[in-house]
Amino acid sequence: MNDERDLIAEYIDKLLGMLRVDPRRTRRILVESEDHLRETAERLIEQGATPAQAQATAIEQFGRPDVVARRFAAEEGRLLPPPLLLDLVLSLGLLFGIGMAAIGVSGALAAGMGTAFGQSFISGDPPEVTYTPARCAYLMADQPGSRDCEAAATAHHYGEVVGYRAVAGVLGLLVLGGWLVIRQRYPRFSGVRILPEGFVPTVGAALFGVAALLLLLQGTGSVAAGRNEGAGGYLSGGIVSLGVFAAFAVPLFRLLVSHRKTSAEIDEG
Amino acid sequence: MNQELLKGHLDLLLLAIVAEQPAHGYAIIARLRERSGGTFDLAEGTIYPALHRLERAQLLESSWATGIGRSRRVYELSNAGREALATRRNTWQSFATGIQAVLGANT
Repeated sequence: MNDERDLIAEYIDKLLGMLRVDPRRTRRILVESEDHLRETAERLIEQGATPAQAQATAIEQFGRPDVVARRFAAEEGRLLPPPLLLDLVLSLGLLFGIGMAAIGVSGALAAGMGTAFGQSFISGDPPEVTYTPARCAYLMADQPGSRDCEAAATAHHYGEVVGYRAVAGVLGLLVLGGWLVIRQRYPRFSGVRILPEGFVPTVGAALFGVAALLLLLQGTGSVAAGRNEGAGGYLSGGIVSLGVFAAFAVPLFRLLVSHRKTSAEIDEG
Repeated sequence: MNQELLKGHLDLLLLAIVAEQPAHGYAIIARLRERSGGTFDLAEGTIYPALHRLERAQLLESSWATGIGRSRRVYELSNAGREALATRRNTWQSFATGIQAVLGANT
């Protein structure tokens, strides 16, 4: 058995994170639970189980940590928010915050690309687009310095692309800030982990991977076809999505490797 | 075995097990499973909250035992627990007798 992966110690850590009882009782509950789990594992080893199998079985017989924690809380008359809902809200909040912040970064990248290659690269309409007189009048009034309707439309959309993305970025930073405050100020409240360990990186990698693929295909396809107008809008989003995808994919890969090793240890002893 | 049905009588069962001999949680659960022939097979971690509740109700007393390599909490019946066990046992036996009489009359 790998000394670095003590399943019982990991279970006790999870239970500690989920217990919401009088703090004076916490240590006793953890000591009793660990003693029970280790004694069960020892008996199973005596019956022929490998250490890894024995620990896994002992934990299974003891029950899920959230169930045990809720039973202790119920005995004290304390109400716990449904742990799955809590974990889901916090996990999706993290993903939402990262997503909004990434949109903000893509806005900054789009602004940089617009400065380097011109606003048309970010928000220019394709040549075949035409404008009704009313639409043209609106655009010229909105962008009075523009030489024609097409330039006014480009400037108008450029402001939207960069401005709206910046607003999304600020919103994302606020959400992430709130998420961090909850994590730091209420570690027990936010330490509940019911969803699988890889939930956030799996969902994050899937979402941003698909986004990166679609946006980069659209952007590079436009450039390859010689239609640069607006391609930067897609490319800026695609490049940032690719970076966020990598940020989720690397820890996800490490987690999968770690689980594979643990499964092999339990199977082979 | 219906787990909800068992929960309604868990206190009586735990008091009866501890009355035989002071024991720590693992031994109590093992005896409960053994004596019931495996019928009472709750998630083991959910027994401890019940033991703690019985202690808060002063029906059980507990103390740390050492010398076995690990600290372990040993439970024993209090005087109030002994009285409660006798009362609940009588109540259960009357109830069971009544149920059996009705069921037996239908067979």
